Amino acid sequence: MANIHPMLTAYVPTESDPFDDVKASHLLNRAGFGGTPEEIQRVRKLGPQRAADWLLDFPDAPAEEDGDNGSPDLSSIAGSPASFQQYYRQLRGKTPEERKQLQQMFQQANRQAIQAMTSWWLNRLAFGKYPLQEKLTFFWHGHFTSSAKDERSALLLWRQNELLRQNAAGNFEKFVRAISRDPAMLDYLNNNENRKAHPNENYARELMELFTLGIGNYTETDIKQAARAFTGWGHDGADFVYRVNQHDDGTKTFFGRSGNFDGDNIISLILQNPACPKFIAGELFKNFAYEDIDAPLAAALGEVLYSNHYEMRPLLRTILTSRAFYSPQSVGVLIKSPVQLVVGTIRMLGLQMPPAQALESALNQMGQLPLMPPNVRGWPGGRMWINTSTLFIRYNTGVWLAGGEVPALSRLDRKGDARGALSDRIAKSTDFDPDASGDPSAIVDAWVNRLIQRPIDADKKAVLVNVLADGVNTDSVRKVVQLIVSMPEYQLC
Amino acid sequence: MQKVVSTRRIFLQKGLTLLAVAPTIPTFLNQTVMALNNPYDQKLTQQASGKDGKILVVIQLSGGNDGLSTVIPYGDDVYYQARGAISHPANQVLKINDYVGLHPNLTSLKSMYDSGDLGIVQGVGYPNPNRSHFRSMDIWQSAQPEIQQPSNGWLGRYFDNTCPGCDPHVGVSIGETLPLAMQGEKVLPLSFERPDSYRYNGRDKTDYVKLNQVQSEPPPTSAAKRITAADQLDFLHRTAMDAQLSSEEILRLTRNHQSPTPYPANEFGNGLKTIAAMIAGGLPTRVYYVALTGFDTHAQQLQRHDALMKQLSDGLGAFWQDLKQQKNDERVMAMTFSEFGRRVQSNASNGTDHGAAAPMFVMGKSIKQGLISPHPSLHDLDQGDLKYVVDFRSVYASILQNWLNTPSKPILGDQYPLLPLVKNV
Repeated sequence: MANIHPMLTAYVPTESDPFDDVKASHLLNRAGFGGTPEEIQRVRKLGPQRAADWLLDFPDAPAEEDGDNGSPDLSSIAGSPASFQQYYRQLRGKTPEERKQLQQMFQQANRQAIQAMTSWWLNRLAFGKYPLQEKLTFFWHGHFTSSAKDERSALLLWRQNELLRQNAAGNFEKFVRAISRDPAMLDYLNNNENRKAHPNENYARELMELFTLGIGNYTETDIKQAARAFTGWGHDGADFVYRVNQHDDGTKTFFGRSGNFDGDNIISLILQNPACPKFIAGELFKNFAYEDIDAPLAAALGEVLYSNHYEMRPLLRTILTSRAFYSPQSVGVLIKSPVQLVVGTIRMLGLQMPPAQALESALNQMGQLPLMPPNVRGWPGGRMWINTSTLFIRYNTGVWLAGGEVPALSRLDRKGDARGALSDRIAKSTDFDPDASGDPSAIVDAWVNRLIQRPIDADKKAVLVNVLADGVNTDSVRKVVQLIVSMPEYQLC
Repeated sequence: MQKVVSTRRIFLQKGLTLLAVAPTIPTFLNQTVMALNNPYDQKLTQQASGKDGKILVVIQLSGGNDGLSTVIPYGDDVYYQARGAISHPANQVLKINDYVGLHPNLTSLKSMYDSGDLGIVQGVGYPNPNRSHFRSMDIWQSAQPEIQQPSNGWLGRYFDNTCPGCDPHVGVSIGETLPLAMQGEKVLPLSFERPDSYRYNGRDKTDYVKLNQVQSEPPPTSAAKRITAADQLDFLHRTAMDAQLSSEEILRLTRNHQSPTPYPANEFGNGLKTIAAMIAGGLPTRVYYVALTGFDTHAQQLQRHDALMKQLSDGLGAFWQDLKQQKNDERVMAMTFSEFGRRVQSNASNGTDHGAAAPMFVMGKSIKQGLISPHPSLHDLDQGDLKYVVDFRSVYASILQNWLNTPSKPILGDQYPLLPLVKNV
């Protein structure tokens, strides 16, 4: 730690570079999903150090321990089989037709539970007690990816979601070991079918490529050998099982070392590889600060994680208080993900949660439905969020949330495919009734500060002020807000 | 801002057929104005636009279309042994020769075949076939199986190579997301799902347009190549302009278009109808892309697949009549593909599991009619799957070279053997 990278040293406010509203809202955008004016003032008064401490102060505990509203309503799957044994027991003695009906019933119940979980989570992302914990949980959902596609069990996905939350800012070593035993993950990446006689390489490959090391830091032989070490790691329902008869206990050679390795030994060897802390710290930095990291910065970030024995809080604190985090290279440079855009708009406009089905349809059209990542890579992000189609959908969704016309929304099936229009009852306008008093220019300034958080071009401001020329009332102010959320500037944070 | 607005007006009057030579909108507009004042305007326009040039329509069959139920080897007993309850009786198959015939519902495709407008490439695949939907789809779309996480597609690289920084109308994809195949590094083609929702919903359209106008020159590229907030804003403004300009045009064209025969009332039919309207309206588009989904028939395949074949045939039949009426049938070539075919042996749920090689259709007045490659053997299988006869990159290479008149090697990385897909080459 002797010579820390200059960009990772703490940002210290000065008279010429104060911790102002722009920086306070930057912190709330990145470490959460945006702040209300009150929250921004609170963070500004705390200053960068104490604000980071406040954000990082949450228990490494699952949501269930929160009490009220700590878990989604999964009652639809209460009667569904919870293990393979139960499943076969329920099907035993039934005619093919009865079996088919039962399976369809289970699937229907499961989809209902997935939907309940999605809306529960969106609500928590918007209004949860610990914004950074949920921001990180969402980050890990795109990192240690599993998807609800292919009728994946809602119960397993819920357990995984809690696992991500519980480890979100904890120890990465503990986290990798836990995710490698996580039933939803074992199912999603086929390790349940990884047997001595026919090793399945899927988990071993993604563990290195996407979860710990990054491409180029291992060989194809390493993957084959690691797959052998993970044979027999499976699950039955929500329980991890180690099937000793299916485990290959021969000698494996991995990263140049030989031994009768099992999955845990492989994880230990991965964690000793200097590429691992560098990769993980880099991924976290990119999520919070900016994309382009040069080699010295990557090395310095890795060093922070490694020297803290993979404890992530010190690294997160370093990132969130660093000069890099508050530099012009970081502030306002990220394209908002659809979830950031939608949840942030709900928070910043002070809305109640809109109907979940309508929100999900909008998010799906923008390309980011929670629990439905497109594949094991998670969501690609950045400029990939934007094309001519998604830009209109982003604008139109913003207009809808700000009390405007409801865009074309549709019901979704389990794959996220659209199936027919949503009823008017679900896809209705939001109740957005902004305060309508004051001078047009001041009203525009206030909303620009609240939503874009940086000054905008004078020409553009003039356009917005002109909207209020015929009178300041709820409707004209609503119109101003609808226009602000339809600006390129609002797509960034 | 006034200057930009008037530029935009000129731009619209010219019907969006103009060449742009830089990848950012401000430059794009400036170049457009220069081109307008340039005596060689016409020449420039012809180069970059596909207004009078050839058009490719790519039809993606998502989910893994069962090739053996599409081009059916009814003359082979092995087919009936393997498929049992989900096989199609020989007397219902639309016979092409005494070995293969088309699915009973592919009636429009059969009449195109009979009138010389349909070619069938059988047994298309690639070495070491991957049976994951997303991985195999990535392979087909990127045409770069060696890259694990491809960031661009074969058509995107075609745009990059032939007109970097050109009008985004060179490619139009019908659907919410832009497929990887269409993604280039320099050109961002248009995508939209339905013309009527491809528009701004807010009440205040005039002000929305003003707020999304590009107001200044693009920021200079910094030596460090770091993305700045100004770069991001420029990118967003540029995309917003593309969306807004094309939205008006596309709405107008699709509203005005009258098709001679009704299209089937489903998503695929609507997509093809929209494409036909854009072709009729003279958009400078070289490549259109549309998908028909639902081919992942693991269970109770017969009914579902029959319905999909009907959608495919009825949609393409109406599309073809439309193009004929427009007299654009010589300019258009369509091709179908899917990420894989399905296992030869059907499974226990009267469905089929993920397989490998499958047929592709090519249609158009200028294509070479007939069976372009032999049917893969039903006896000599690779782990229960058909062995490929033609590498899909050979089909792409033939389309690029003989239809789009561009060298294929820079796009595909290698020179693949050409097939006789197009007449008179």
